[in-house]
Amino acid sequence: MHPGLEHYLILSALIFSFGVYGMLTRRNLVAMLLCVELVLNAAALNFVAFHRFLFEGDPAGTVFPILIIAVAAAEAAVALAIVIALFRHRRNLDVRAADTLRG
Amino acid sequence: MTLETFAFWILAAYTLFAAYFVVTARNLFRCAVGLAAALIGIAGLYLLMEATFLSSIQVAVYVGGVVVLVVFAVLMVEDVTQKEFLRSPLSRCLLASVVAELLLAIIAGTMLSQGFGAHRPPHASADVRVIGHALLSTGPGGFVLPFEVISLVLVAALVGAITVAGKPGDDYEKPEED
Repeated sequence: MHPGLEHYLILSALIFSFGVYGMLTRRNLVAMLLCVELVLNAAALNFVAFHRFLFEGDPAGTVFPILIIAVAAAEAAVALAIVIALFRHRRNLDVRAADTLRG
Repeated sequence: MTLETFAFWILAAYTLFAAYFVVTARNLFRCAVGLAAALIGIAGLYLLMEATFLSSIQVAVYVGGVVVLVVFAVLMVEDVTQKEFLRSPLSRCLLASVVAELLLAIIAGTMLSQGFGAHRPPHASADVRVIGHALLSTGPGGFVLPFEVISLVLVAALVGAITVAGKPGDDYEKPEED
């Protein structure tokens, strides 16, 4: 069976749900960040699949993944800076230890 | 079974396995390597959909940039020889898997019920020239505003990262007193 739009959509939904599962179960800040990257990639994969199979090569389908990659890079930079600052203060990356602002 | 079909299934299985590894590996460094593997698999899927420019960006920026940044951060903050980090209790894992499966069911059900048509022939993908024109065009279908906004976001993120990660008190060189 030739891979069509549905195949790519289901694959991206699977990657998305893996990322969500990881975000909910991981307690390490860096590991949670890696799961967020998985979720972002699943979204980008959807854009490209629609671009190829449904919207006749509309460039929006490749421009948005490029923007997603740029946002992910910015997010990774800021999150890892926070990780380093947090580690300097607490020597620990457990997210449950960093709840000082909790109401 | 054509070569494209074969490549799709191989890449899909590889990507899913790598994603599973990211979610379950017990060592942070192995998680990062798994993420690199998953991103390369997705780049391969882009290549399969003839999005060659996007595929090369994915490898260059994501695998070469973001993952390397993560690996540096892991090496700085974590003792990699330390085998395991804290896991959630089993009840939370079960709850999370139920939530994730529910989300998967909703998404997959919605996608499949739309009837996008599995036999629709693929179209030619946008090439670099088209993408470049779209990114810098101000007319309809142009993306010059998101392009400019994303450059501002990147600058703000860079400055913010340096501010947050820098040690308090060494913002500037103090003048030497004679």
